[in-house]
Amino acid sequence: MNLSTLTRASSLSTTITSTTLRRSITISSSSLSYTPTSTNPKTPLFLRPPIFTATLTDLQKFQNWAKTLTSSIGSSFKDSDNGPDSTILHRELNWFIEDAVENPNSLLTQSETEIGRVVKLRAELGDLYTLWKQRIEKRRPFQYVVGCEHWRDLVLSVEEGVLIPRPETELIVDLVCDVMKMNEEMKSGLWVDLGTGSGAIGIAIARVLGEFGRVIATDLSPVAVHVAQFNVKRYNLQDKVSVMQGSWFDPLSGFEGRVAGLVSNPPYIPSGHINGLQAEVGRHEPILALDGGEDGMSDLLHLCNGAEFMLKSGGFFAFETNGEDQCRFLVDHMKSVHNNSFCDLKIIPDLAGIQRFVTGIRS
Amino acid sequence: MEIVVQRLVSPTAYQKHASRRPSIKSFYINNPTASFPCSLSLPSLSHSKVLLATPDAGVSAETSVWAMQDFYSLRKEVEATSRRVEEIRASAGLEQLGEEVAKLEKAAASDSFWDDRSSAQKTLMALTDVKDKINLLNDFQTQVDDAETIVNLTEEMESTDTALLEEAATIVKELNKALDKFELSQLLSGPYDKEGAVINITAGAGGTDAQDWADMLLRMYVRWGERQRYKTRVVEKSMGEEAGIKSATIEVEGRYAFGYLCGEKGTHRIVRQSPFNAKGLRQTSFCGIEVMPLLPEDSLNVEIPEEDLQIGFSRAGGSGGQNVNKVETAVRITHIPTGVTVRCTEERSQLANKIKALSRLKAKLMVIAIEQRATEIKQIRGDAVKADWGQQIRNYVFHPYKLVKDVRTGYETTDIVSVMDGELDPFIKAYLRFKYTQSM
Repeated sequence: MNLSTLTRASSLSTTITSTTLRRSITISSSSLSYTPTSTNPKTPLFLRPPIFTATLTDLQKFQNWAKTLTSSIGSSFKDSDNGPDSTILHRELNWFIEDAVENPNSLLTQSETEIGRVVKLRAELGDLYTLWKQRIEKRRPFQYVVGCEHWRDLVLSVEEGVLIPRPETELIVDLVCDVMKMNEEMKSGLWVDLGTGSGAIGIAIARVLGEFGRVIATDLSPVAVHVAQFNVKRYNLQDKVSVMQGSWFDPLSGFEGRVAGLVSNPPYIPSGHINGLQAEVGRHEPILALDGGEDGMSDLLHLCNGAEFMLKSGGFFAFETNGEDQCRFLVDHMKSVHNNSFCDLKIIPDLAGIQRFVTGIRS
Repeated sequence: MEIVVQRLVSPTAYQKHASRRPSIKSFYINNPTASFPCSLSLPSLSHSKVLLATPDAGVSAETSVWAMQDFYSLRKEVEATSRRVEEIRASAGLEQLGEEVAKLEKAAASDSFWDDRSSAQKTLMALTDVKDKINLLNDFQTQVDDAETIVNLTEEMESTDTALLEEAATIVKELNKALDKFELSQLLSGPYDKEGAVINITAGAGGTDAQDWADMLLRMYVRWGERQRYKTRVVEKSMGEEAGIKSATIEVEGRYAFGYLCGEKGTHRIVRQSPFNAKGLRQTSFCGIEVMPLLPEDSLNVEIPEEDLQIGFSRAGGSGGQNVNKVETAVRITHIPTGVTVRCTEERSQLANKIKALSRLKAKLMVIAIEQRATEIKQIRGDAVKADWGQQIRNYVFHPYKLVKDVRTGYETTDIVSVMDGELDPFIKAYLRFKYTQSM
């Protein structure tokens, strides 16, 4: 059954796209290409003006086409590289339409008489076909397709060249909040987010800081720096968050011993694992943000060393890791190599139960 | 709660009506020979339709004949309504309401009243509610008095004034509608009845047939919500493999949504010829409906100790973190002492799912607490918490005959098409009355 729907879907997709897309592909190649060429961040789909229109019937045609294409995947991605199955992809499709249509509720409450109604779109209907084809056939990550990721209570702009913030990382902010609850002074200190990517952690921390608290977010990638700056502006935090380009602690000279909190989600995947990653990650996300060297620990160890001289006494750090082995290694390393520099070392699991974070206090 | 009564019942409609009246009346007074316009039929007196059906029924003899018949049935109706008003006023406890007003007014007059702003607000709102209720009950009396006066007047007079009778008939009709609504709102006096509702639909075992049935119920409730002019959103929908849905969640925003829907909780059974079976065999499928109040975040002021919660996050295997990119951020929370579990998948971030799951868990526990007559969540007996959607409550038979029948109330209809199109009100009302009599 799966095989037949697959052929049906793919033949359907080629006929539809070949007729409707020829024009739009050539026109809007810049907004659809996914190689990070410019340094101007792209506007996420949901923020674009709804200047395109389609009839409800045509939109539903797209929806049905996309549903068929999506259903044809079944569990094939899951079986091959632990990718998303069609249930997850269907959910993404709903969100995709939610982001692309000006008033998505109109789709839910449509009645039969309104079939000829016109719907306002944030992208051309032809582009929707192209984008969803990219999602399924090229395995382009959903977040790059819509240009954003919902993370905690934030909606962050993301694009090729920037790591898509992961749900696990949301917990780092909770850990920071716990620290601030215990020690109010931390709210007015200087916080550093190293390898900020889209700016996620830095922005979330800035939103819980007190009046005098500041965040410095660094990243080596110019694309990431631009995207992070865009996100900082969108949350109107220019006065609280400075985004700086450079490798790890390089942009922080002069702040040694003055940092109240240091957080990072550095690349931690062992180089040997990169090839086996889920296609969405391995083929599309920046390797710079993923590859942590032979054992995945090289950047984490660098951060440990840096934390010792950047943090002030009583300063807090939280690092994300690849799991239990890295957590243990890190804690042992800090105890043995940096003896007496850190105290209160803890390993904290994520919500899936994997030992994910190492936290501690600078003595 | 009474605020809505005021909104639903139509003092304004009545006033509008009353202000329109005199002109019609004066028209008849000034034109005693004018024939009775047929468009102004007396809607509450159905038996008069026959006579009204002939548009030329302007002959005066005929007018007086049917007017007399009308008059007798009208008098009967006014008497019945009068009794009904009396009963409702008695059961609403007018005296106690008066005492309550006095008590609340005394509280509001005290010097320290505004020290606690939020409790002061509450008191004032309660005061308005009680006063509105008293006004409404008095309004019922005034209206029925008006109708009685007209009846008495007509009895004393030699000739019948059709305009006056018309007015009395309209009063009685409107008043009965208002009384219906009032009674219904009395049935909806549970602590969360006036809130919005969350409906969870879960297909039972049985594959595609059950999943298709779940999809039909989803449509039914969405249609019902639209008919009620509630803001109805399908917030989560998990598709079946071939057709239909495995589960879905609907949020219904609007006053009294939970009160109306709470009786829908249970197992819904369908009997039909399977459309997914080549032989078209008769097939029975089940679907579970669960209903929770949709409570605003700040109203959930119950604190559940963190150690009582087990928060999990379903993520398909692997090392997680940077290794995986899946939008699936479902959060599952279990209340350890009772074993009650909720799962939230519809939000796009993990934090949003967690917040929503927690508020659903609280809502669910609060409803269970009420069912068990417990005053706080701590007192809920975990062993007594039944499966999410326990007993079978309604049968929908499509084949070999057509019938929808509620197991609890015995209410039934053969118009299965309308029911599936969201015409649930008779079932809902029957259940509310049933629940009310059970509690007496």
